[in-house]
Amino acid sequence: MPAEQAAAEAEGRRLPWWRNILLFLAVLGPGLITASVDNDAGGITTYSLAGSRYGYDLLWTLIPITVALIVVQEMSARMGVVTGKGLADLIRENFGVKVTFWISVALIVANLGNVIAEFAGVAASLQIFGVPVWLSVPAAAVGVWLLVLKGSYRSVEKFFLVASAFYLVYPVSLAFSKPDWMEVARATALPRFHADSQYVGMLIGMVGTTIAPWMQFYLQSAVVEKGIKVEHYRFSRMDVIAGCIVTDLVAFAIVVACGATLYKAGVQVETAGQAALALEPLAGRYASWLFSFGLLNASFFAAAILPLSTAYYVCEAFGWESGVDKKYGEARQFYWLYTSILVVGALVVLWPNLPLVRIMLVSQIVNGVLLPFILVFMLLLINRTKIMGEWRNGRFFNAVAWGTTFIMIGLTAWLVVSGIRDLVAS
Amino acid sequence: MPETTAPDTRNDPRFLFFSELLGTPVVASDGRRLGRLSDLVAATGEPYPPVESLVVRRGKERQQLPWSAVEKMSRREIVVRSDAAAAEPPATPLPDRIPLAEEILDRQIVDVHDAKLVRVNDLHFLEVNRQLRIAHVDVGFRGLVRRLGWEPLVDRTISAVRPSAPYLKSDQLLSWKLVQPLDAAPGRVRLEVAQRMLAEIHPADLAEIMEELDRDQRQVLLGRLDVETAADALEEASPELAAQLLEEVPPERAADILEEMQPDEAADVLSELPGETRAELVEAMERPEAREVQELLSYPNDSAGGLMTPDRVEVRAEQTVADAFAEVRRLAEEVPLVYEVFVVDAAGLLKGLVTLKDLILAEPTTPISQLLREVPATVRAEDGLRDVARAAAKYNLISVPVVDDLGALRGMVTVDDILAEVVDAR
Repeated sequence: MPAEQAAAEAEGRRLPWWRNILLFLAVLGPGLITASVDNDAGGITTYSLAGSRYGYDLLWTLIPITVALIVVQEMSARMGVVTGKGLADLIRENFGVKVTFWISVALIVANLGNVIAEFAGVAASLQIFGVPVWLSVPAAAVGVWLLVLKGSYRSVEKFFLVASAFYLVYPVSLAFSKPDWMEVARATALPRFHADSQYVGMLIGMVGTTIAPWMQFYLQSAVVEKGIKVEHYRFSRMDVIAGCIVTDLVAFAIVVACGATLYKAGVQVETAGQAALALEPLAGRYASWLFSFGLLNASFFAAAILPLSTAYYVCEAFGWESGVDKKYGEARQFYWLYTSILVVGALVVLWPNLPLVRIMLVSQIVNGVLLPFILVFMLLLINRTKIMGEWRNGRFFNAVAWGTTFIMIGLTAWLVVSGIRDLVAS
Repeated sequence: MPETTAPDTRNDPRFLFFSELLGTPVVASDGRRLGRLSDLVAATGEPYPPVESLVVRRGKERQQLPWSAVEKMSRREIVVRSDAAAAEPPATPLPDRIPLAEEILDRQIVDVHDAKLVRVNDLHFLEVNRQLRIAHVDVGFRGLVRRLGWEPLVDRTISAVRPSAPYLKSDQLLSWKLVQPLDAAPGRVRLEVAQRMLAEIHPADLAEIMEELDRDQRQVLLGRLDVETAADALEEASPELAAQLLEEVPPERAADILEEMQPDEAADVLSELPGETRAELVEAMERPEAREVQELLSYPNDSAGGLMTPDRVEVRAEQTVADAFAEVRRLAEEVPLVYEVFVVDAAGLLKGLVTLKDLILAEPTTPISQLLREVPATVRAEDGLRDVARAAAKYNLISVPVVDDLGALRGMVTVDDILAEVVDAR
């Protein structure tokens, strides 16, 4: 590091303000990209369902979810910057093969769920235009496969990112639909709990879609790849926090927009066309087009990232060669894993008469159920002095992160018990 | 390998895996239970390092016992002399002593023989005369299955289904002599053989290994290369990575490496560094190299000026073929490609060229003027990559001469650099 800058930072960060802005822009990215992918097909659907089924009753959860999301994501970024290693790498090196194996299984299952949701999103969004599922889903799968393996993904990534600005239509539409703001504020501040398994399932889905297990792996690797240095970490942290807040503001807007329109009208959302009605106050009869475009973009974006990153992490952990620049013969496991996740994800959606919207919700519940497994190992890692040195977790972070872990385990137990009870009762 | 029968049957040489020993109960000869085996410490000075001590863990307590105290060892238990002096494992192990579970198992190491990165799934020991020596590292799939504890089950299943399956015979064992661990603290593991072999890995493979390593390991690997090998490898790595690496190296060594690099590659790396660091490094470089690099730095990266190397072979028209050969031999070390020899006049103006083929076919006494060919195309330093590539492609040039406004030769862009840029730009 240049001596002048080192001295400036040692003296209490007296860098000129423009230097700070430049540094921030240089490390900007991983947090915001992760956040944009976070609002994928599963996310939009889960928030839409939450708003349309329970009105504003789930709004309160977004406050603790945001706090937990920031804490968890900050931990991922910090581990990436301090250790220079990916999460899968750290888990393998510190917990051995058995733990790595089960974490990989959990990650593959959760992400398979997500990929299914993405293809369901593709199918649902194109159904609005009358494109049949048997055409849209295989076409999307082949499209993603080629896009990524032919190495042209990087060039379209920016398009996806810009297109994900689509979410801004929700806050705008919200302004047109004139919700009762007093009621919204009350619902945000005061928890409202329903004791039925559907509500608990929805709650787990909300957490699972917002704090999805893949995000910790993805963000940490992105930070490592960017080569952000410890002394610039505070800028990276701002990037992460900004991303988390944007994600949850969008989630908030979707829930309120759906609560103000669908819930009031008593619509039980079963198709994407119905979910699109939440945008009617803004877009009128073009609402479904707009919604379809946004859902398609989000689904395709995430479908391009998730199978690929899953294959990377698993191969990294097991020491198999990986990367799209490798030949098939060099990186067999990588190509098999990548292709299988895509193919299985697409095939599930091709099952006839599948309730697409419900599938998307269930996949997010699976994410929520698997989240604590990943969190436990992250927390064990980030508290090891040998790995993190002075950067290990403080008390507040540990409290929030362990709290999230136990609450998720508790909710999952509740879901299982009440699910069995419902089954027995019927 | 000692596969013949030893005279003393009790000390039969035998192979065993680390995973079979880890967790084995350790008892004293008087029957006291001491705990379970949690690590083995090896002395790495020898080609096949002997195990020196064992780390035994009971609850949170860990103690270290000398290996010489081991009386009997089986997969069921390890018996140590009851009077063995136990010591606490040192917080930082002595140099040349590696705790194997902690620093080798599950880590990435360089397979020097195949020039790639592998992950250590298991270690293979040879027990001979009561000494335990590291013979191989297991990087194969079987090693993973063994670590999961599923080896008997998987073996039985596979041999029942397909007795001829390659899996059953496919232990991927690498000789310890052919691997290079990177996580052990720098300066600790000095394996002469492996080190010499590192220098023999093709620079492009070394660069690829560096790209895949994490931040700290990269630095360790770079530190183990001599200046020439380091320069060759960094030429092949991406300039961003090379810049990241050099920033962490002491400036004198970084400058030495930069001097050894082709000036155009060195300039690319320097242009990725922050201004102060760049100035500091150029300052530390030897005069002539520094001046060359500084000139190149004044052009954009993907212009002819940024791509060109100032090193080239020049002759006068009135010189002979023998003179030209002498010049080629004198400069061959520095000039990347000598296929085209440029002919200039006293003022340095480019008059033509002769190819190496012309020179080989001509008599040594022939004057260059008789062989002189017209230069089919030249480029200016500010011309873009596209112009350079077009000139090379159209006139089948191995090196495209770069001239200034007056027609004086400034350098050349060689086809390998053009290719690399064109492939990257795709």
